[in-house]
Amino acid sequence: MVLVLALLVVALAGCGGGSGEKKESGTPAKSGPSGQVVVAQGVDATTMDPAMHAETPTGNIQRNIFDPLIQRNREMKLEPGLALSWKTLDDRTWEIVLRQGVKFHDGTPFTAKDVKFTLERIINPDQKSPRRSNLEAIEKVEIVDDYKVKITTKAPYPILPARLADELIVPADYVKKVGDAEFAKKPIGTGPYKFVKWVKDDQVVLEANTEYWRGAPAIKTVIFRPIPETSTRIAELQTGAVDIIVNVPPDQVQTLESGANTRVSTAPSARVIFIGFVTNKGGPLANPKVRQAINYAVDVDSIIKNILKGNGYRVASPLTTAHFGYDPTVKPYPYDPAKAKALLKEAGYPDGLELTMDSPNGRYLMDKEIAEAVVGQLAQVGIKVKLNVLEWGVYVKKIMAKELTGMYLLGWGNTTFDADGTLYPLLRSGQRFSYYENPKLDKLLDEARSIIDEKKRLADYQEAVKIINQDAAWLFLHQQRDIYGVSKRLDWEARPDELLWMYEAKLK
Amino acid sequence: MSGRGPADKSSFGPARIVLEASAGHPGVKRCTRRRTCVDLTLFQRGLGSGPGQIPADPGEKGSCLLKRYLWRRLGHSILVILGVSAVVFFVIHLTGDPAALLLPMDASPEEVARFREAMGFNDPLYRQYWYFLKKALRGDFGLSLRHQQPSLAMVVERMPATLELTLAALLVALLVAIPLGVASASRRYSLLDNVASVLGLLGQSMPVYWQGIMLILIFSVSLRWLPASGRGGFDHLILPAITLGTYSAATVMRLLRSGLLEILKQDYVRTARSKGLNERVVIYKHALRNALLPVLTVVGLQFGSLLGGAVITETVFAWPGVGRLIFQAINNRDFPLVQAAVFILALIIVTVNFLTDILYTYLDPRVRYS
Repeated sequence: MVLVLALLVVALAGCGGGSGEKKESGTPAKSGPSGQVVVAQGVDATTMDPAMHAETPTGNIQRNIFDPLIQRNREMKLEPGLALSWKTLDDRTWEIVLRQGVKFHDGTPFTAKDVKFTLERIINPDQKSPRRSNLEAIEKVEIVDDYKVKITTKAPYPILPARLADELIVPADYVKKVGDAEFAKKPIGTGPYKFVKWVKDDQVVLEANTEYWRGAPAIKTVIFRPIPETSTRIAELQTGAVDIIVNVPPDQVQTLESGANTRVSTAPSARVIFIGFVTNKGGPLANPKVRQAINYAVDVDSIIKNILKGNGYRVASPLTTAHFGYDPTVKPYPYDPAKAKALLKEAGYPDGLELTMDSPNGRYLMDKEIAEAVVGQLAQVGIKVKLNVLEWGVYVKKIMAKELTGMYLLGWGNTTFDADGTLYPLLRSGQRFSYYENPKLDKLLDEARSIIDEKKRLADYQEAVKIINQDAAWLFLHQQRDIYGVSKRLDWEARPDELLWMYEAKLK
Repeated sequence: MSGRGPADKSSFGPARIVLEASAGHPGVKRCTRRRTCVDLTLFQRGLGSGPGQIPADPGEKGSCLLKRYLWRRLGHSILVILGVSAVVFFVIHLTGDPAALLLPMDASPEEVARFREAMGFNDPLYRQYWYFLKKALRGDFGLSLRHQQPSLAMVVERMPATLELTLAALLVALLVAIPLGVASASRRYSLLDNVASVLGLLGQSMPVYWQGIMLILIFSVSLRWLPASGRGGFDHLILPAITLGTYSAATVMRLLRSGLLEILKQDYVRTARSKGLNERVVIYKHALRNALLPVLTVVGLQFGSLLGGAVITETVFAWPGVGRLIFQAINNRDFPLVQAAVFILALIIVTVNFLTDILYTYLDPRVRYS
């Protein structure tokens, strides 16, 4: 019996793939790319087709194989990618001039037809692209000539460039020739790295594209490995088998910083964590004084310091400093439990009240712990909160079905870095995630998303933010800080948009 | 099938005998669909055959019973697989909404509605189940919602990795448990016995998750002897196999030890010893073979729980197997993928249990089919 087992094991091990590849040491680049870097995320890619997913980890891998028309620099400002320039011809028409001399990995040239194909493919309902809603505003894409494209939107759409920055351009001829299924397994793009192979749930191997239009990348081989367990990721970084790891918890920062081969790199995240109020179902939360009292009663700075070990930035509104529409004059509520009690008394609850709160567990960093801390602090001003911790799938279902009552902890990351992507779905009446109804706010948000004039939009959003803050539509908590573990032999820093663009990295 | 000991007469009991005489041959037995197989010469000789009385011509009756038994087990197995798949279908559909989990958070309500319509989620649940069943019987489990690839193919693709891990774990378990179990039974109350008992208890109590991470910390990070995760050569297999196999090793060891202790008290062992046989021969040639029989059953059953326990081990060691896949699929409410994985796993477990039972009855002549 034992012999049989042993033989079976040997046979199967023979079929095994290999993360057992030896790592090359980084030789100084004389001519051409050299060395190998391994990046560990929490999950594997689901596809190599940029149109058929809506997930950051998958996008991170694809971003090395493809390029977008417009890209963000490290300060999150838009700059030319495959597009040299873009401007509006009128309220609903955009003209985009394309870069010349760019080739796909199979040698074919990049032209306007690839842009039209890429965008129309995502919008096409038959394609069933999960990213379709990102480009819903586009009515049609027209080819003016080989290097110029005209995009018409259904209504004035000021954030079109931000949306285009998220879409990667695919080669029209190649996709049509091999079909979607093959393309999803063997992609070809214009990016700095060529696809070599994908062993499912094990690794994706990429190799430098020496013909890249920006110049060859410094690192020759990039491998992405999905390692779901945080402790394992950290262990792999410490052994030197992996060079970048994502989602390091705050309590491991010390260990990595003091390690011989490891360090930590952080970036302010696009994601904001908050506790929302269900204000449109009556009860105490419909009263702004109660909501303001809750904001005064919670010591957010202490939560950031003690639970997150300082890895968070205090926010006074749903927006971060990187978002268009941010208003620096709006300040967070100070911690003032006495004022909280006074407000509760004014609102008619001198003896306190009871509320419920829903929270996910493990979806966001320390989400459950933060919820528990808030419950504890509210108890001190007489607000008794019953906390329900839910599994993420169940929680999302409840939110979308508008079944929430009371308070709810949520995080929201918006990679358009524009106020519209955050304020509209979360706070405009009737929207998917909104439990708040304020006609004045609605008017501002509707107007701001339908005009192109940047100055006017900014004014609208800043006023909107003031209203949201003063009316205490939420309990404002913090902006997350993403923590990455990095090997000391790698010269790379984290980005606020969570991209892992290896073109920026170099071996020391 | 329950392992029946000797002297179980119920299968020969009068209440279940039906006469079926074949023309001209009163002594011949017939296997018909609704009747039990019986040896009519037995009936002629009189009912109530006692223990140890072997019916005439057992071979023919044996194969008749065997065939009947096999068909019944096959039927049970199919029912089990169908039942499991139905339960999983309804439970997972009722607990979450994949549209919410798979589309970007800021997709519009129309987009979500369109997605749900395209996936058929607006149909009543029983109708969705019916469509699922129809397609599944043709081998089509649909496309994974998240990956947009055929679900069954995705599961099958990762099966070798999980099987490799499971078999390696089983190997580790047996390599540890058998020598240790034998040694501690034959040297009862010695230091070795006590140490082994403690280890057995530890092995069954240690959480897989904790053990996996501890092994990584010790052997990968501190000692740098072995890689921390991933699948590759043998060195990648060692830590995960040990982690997954520990519980089975402890279980089998304790079972073997207590089984052996029991057997070593039996009369025939005393006879063997009094024949002057060397103790080693007594243990390995006579006692162990009998003690291994219940171990075999347990090992077969353990295979099922190893496949399930592989979820945690695969996650900790980033092992690209089915366990990890099904865990993520459940979190994402990726219905087609969950269904395909559950089906394959149920199929394997049911088959292994079935084979274990057959093997057991083959090895132990005292056991009869019910």
